[in-house]
Amino acid sequence: MRQQWSVEANRLLASLPRKSYRELLPGLDAVTLDFGDVLYEPGARIRDVYFPSRSVVSLLTIVDGHSALEVGLVGCEGMVGIPLALGVDISPVRALVQGAGAAMQMSAGGFRKAFEASAPLQRSLHRYTHALMAQITQTAACNRFHVVEARLARWLLMTRDRVGSAQFRLTQEFLSHMLGVRRVGVTHAASALQRRDLIEYQRGNIRILDNPGLEAAACSCYRLVRQRA
Amino acid sequence: MFGSMVKARLSPDPRVNHLLASLPESDYRSLAAHLEPMAMPLGMAVYESGDAQGFVYFPADSIVSLLYVLENGASTEIAVTGNEGLVGISLFMGGESTPSRAVVQSAGHGYRVRGVVLRKVFESSGEVQHLLLRFTQALITQMTQTAVCNRHHSVDQQLCRWLLLMLDRLSSSEVLMTQELIANMLGVRREGVTEAAGKLQAEGLIEYARGRIRVLDRRQLEARVCECYAVVKKEYDRLLSAVAPQPRPN
Repeated sequence: MRQQWSVEANRLLASLPRKSYRELLPGLDAVTLDFGDVLYEPGARIRDVYFPSRSVVSLLTIVDGHSALEVGLVGCEGMVGIPLALGVDISPVRALVQGAGAAMQMSAGGFRKAFEASAPLQRSLHRYTHALMAQITQTAACNRFHVVEARLARWLLMTRDRVGSAQFRLTQEFLSHMLGVRRVGVTHAASALQRRDLIEYQRGNIRILDNPGLEAAACSCYRLVRQRA
Repeated sequence: MFGSMVKARLSPDPRVNHLLASLPESDYRSLAAHLEPMAMPLGMAVYESGDAQGFVYFPADSIVSLLYVLENGASTEIAVTGNEGLVGISLFMGGESTPSRAVVQSAGHGYRVRGVVLRKVFESSGEVQHLLLRFTQALITQMTQTAVCNRHHSVDQQLCRWLLLMLDRLSSSEVLMTQELIANMLGVRREGVTEAAGKLQAEGLIEYARGRIRVLDRRQLEARVCECYAVVKKEYDRLLSAVAPQPRPN
């Protein structure tokens, strides 16, 4: 395993040609994102972008003032702050840290300059944006058609893949926002997975016990998004 | 810029499409020679999910629906694009294929251009890049809002949203559409759509007959719709304000 603070831990940065990435380095700050940190609010200006390495950030759309739904999940494969790569400085979504850990942070101004100067960074981010849109699309359909239990399983697996660990912290309230269902729905789904010995869920800590079992319990969306990543 | 629209032609002026109309003149000219006019009949598949796409489509008076189709065949609409945009962003964003299916939802005309041609213009012109990327951001907002709307709002509200999206992209107040197609778009059962449409009809907001929906009272639709419609519209107006918004008929 690479050291936690290395830039390479973010795959998007790691995929850049050496020269481009050396040019980015001076503008990058290693930070730790804490569980529950709100990086962006919908409609607010984006001040910094983030390249997660060990952290996971959830993109949420809010309706009716309080109901939320997760539309995308960003980890070491991506960047938080995609609107800036599309020339827009306002975030349409809330970005919420869902897995605490390391990330590289860059100011919006610094990013814009670096982005304009680097064709490889542009290509790489446009490609990532496209993949993120595929994830949004899939999530929309999944939310529509699949049962909570299968969606919870998918969501736990996606989180596992991004955190790089089978154990993470989650409250039921948080899960209810992610999945767009009431808390009681989350409780039922989590207990069902626990009864099948696929996960262990205690006081906000989730541990995946049976990876293949959980993958079988997840809807096909998990496999499809993973294939495309 | 829209002066030439008055001329009645079989294929409308390409610049009926707001994106084409907003291109700098020199970029437009490099594209114009390659634009192929085409009829876009109802139900035509512009592309299938997983396909490598060869063309980018600019709807003129047609509307294209982006649908996600699940393995079991169930589908749900992710976004609609009409004369405000284009279909086929993966060609300049660099994804090889797309997970959605694009189907003509309201018949009309459009223009298509080979992806390689558009890509060349995209790569050589900062302004074109700027414009197409902003459109992409607006499309992302529509997708995410549709996702949350599907999850949290009633079929009535979703039907209102869907009708308003259509009206904004049409030059008439009549939408040609069967309940079965609407059910596929919204990803709900047909009975749900029948019930919702019946309610709107009983209240005098729409008139529904044999595959035709006529909107009688747009204001009331706007009063009934969930916030999702306004959120998306505001974002499109904001991001594409340079993209000559035409006054829209009521």
